[in-house]
Amino acid sequence: MRETWVVGAASNRYGKMTETAREAATRVALEAIRDAGLEPKQIGHTFVANCFGLAEHQAHVGPLINNGLGIPEVPSVTLESACSSSSAALHEAFVHVAGGFADAALVVGAERLGHLDTLAATSYFAIAADYAFETKNGATFPGLYATLASAYRDVYKTTPEMLGSIAIKNHANAARNPHAHFQKEISMETYLASPLIASPLRLYDCCPFSDGAAALVVAAKEAMPRPTNEPLVVRASARAGAVTDMQDRPDLLGLPSTRAAAAAAFRQARMTPKEIDFLEVHDCFTIAEVLALEDLGFFPKGTAAKESADGVTARDGRLPVNPSGGLKAKGHPVSATGAGQVVEVFEQVNGRAPGREVPRSGTALTHNVGATGGSCSVHIFSRR
Amino acid sequence: MTATWGLACSRCGRAGLEERALSDRGRVVAFTVLNVPGEEFLNEAPYAYVVVELEGGGRVTGWMPTVRSEADLSIGEAVRFVPGYKPGVQFVKREASETT
Ligand SMILES: CC(C)(COP(=O)(O)OP(=O)(O)OC[C@H]1O[C@@H](n2cnc3c(N)ncnc32)[C@H](O)[C@@H]1OP(=O)(O)O)[C@@H](O)C(=O)NCCC(=O)NCCS
Repeated sequence: MRETWVVGAASNRYGKMTETAREAATRVALEAIRDAGLEPKQIGHTFVANCFGLAEHQAHVGPLINNGLGIPEVPSVTLESACSSSSAALHEAFVHVAGGFADAALVVGAERLGHLDTLAATSYFAIAADYAFETKNGATFPGLYATLASAYRDVYKTTPEMLGSIAIKNHANAARNPHAHFQKEISMETYLASPLIASPLRLYDCCPFSDGAAALVVAAKEAMPRPTNEPLVVRASARAGAVTDMQDRPDLLGLPSTRAAAAAAFRQARMTPKEIDFLEVHDCFTIAEVLALEDLGFFPKGTAAKESADGVTARDGRLPVNPSGGLKAKGHPVSATGAGQVVEVFEQVNGRAPGREVPRSGTALTHNVGATGGSCSVHIFSRR
Repeated sequence: MTATWGLACSRCGRAGLEERALSDRGRVVAFTVLNVPGEEFLNEAPYAYVVVELEGGGRVTGWMPTVRSEADLSIGEAVRFVPGYKPGVQFVKREASETT
């Protein structure tokens, strides 16, 4: 395998887009390529994520993006892995570049659902659950994670204030992130007063419906003699799957695909959780951040909510988690999310995150989940 | 009704699954009460989405139209399957008198 780097990154501001996902994808893709000091014709393969493109009556968007970049002859493929689609695209780009099939590859994820109302967006998302068993029984994504939260609370006695501390921390980080959907802080009073969406989860436990686009350029070290930015060395790119359905899981206290992907990633990187300086994890709901931190191996089972309430995961804490604001407050434009997490790592490492810099950025881990854990990607990065 | 959702066990990978009748009684192992539904449950909210451990083994996912708030149900509570008016698997709470 060749040493493989992330050499360029770009994102728009998450929230509401007036342009289509395809236009936004093309725009951030060109920005990321220029950021890497490359020209589009140097891209050997384009990996696209646009899970809900059908909501815009558009499939097969890869060739359209490449056309827009002036490289129609470059091969492209669109990957669907629910909320982990663009980290799946990053994994494919890594495999191609590390394996010598391309010197440079483009990863771009984009989603636009903001033109749909709450009911339509909730219904679209629910398609990514098991339609026959979960959706047909009234499940929604907030509902599925709420079900996990109820099982977890029953065993580990989490309080609303513990989950609230995660929402407050992520909003505080997003308030300093110009890419974020919600650039505002919230208080515990606001959190506790917010309506129940799916008990025990309240409005402020949930990520919003966001539009957004993010792009990365992945390249072989040997093809980049003079990188324009401080590259991210990809130390691990791992994915795993697991049973999705609530009724078929061995337990409801975590996501087995996170455990498996993390184990594979730490093995690949020959590292341990202790060597990671900061994390971007999949906090589509506050409970998901708790489960992620435990399943990734950073905290023992049943303790992450309390550690968060104690400030351990704050930007200036012992282990900063989601300095971008996370899915909770930076936003969750499904197919842009995984690539966007890596944009945050890239910006932290390149001194492009003023006001929200983490104390140490020598190593970072990103964690991106598809739906309720049917898929999971874990990437580990370090400086050269 | 028969349907083939899986051809091998998702835990051990063994093929050759056989059909088994399930009990219509069980206990709630996890649940949520939804206030924001999708299209197919638009007229049902609030309702509970439940995971139920059946007597004699097996878990199923279902929903409970009569549970309107978190205070109406607890983990461990006894429930019974009832034929419903929607395609999903519908449960109601079991009365104390029928808890055998
Ligand atoms: C929680 C949820 C139902 C709220 O949506 P909603 O009821 O349509 O909310 P509205 O759009 O009416 O917004 C009401 C207000 O709350 C804000 N808001 C909406 N969602 C928010 C969220 N998740 N967090 C914080 N604020 C939110 C809006 O900006 C709006 O503020 P304003 O009145 O100042 O403009 C929706 O955001 C949701 O379903 N999120 C989860 C998405 C999801 O499942 N993703 C997949 C994860 S795997």
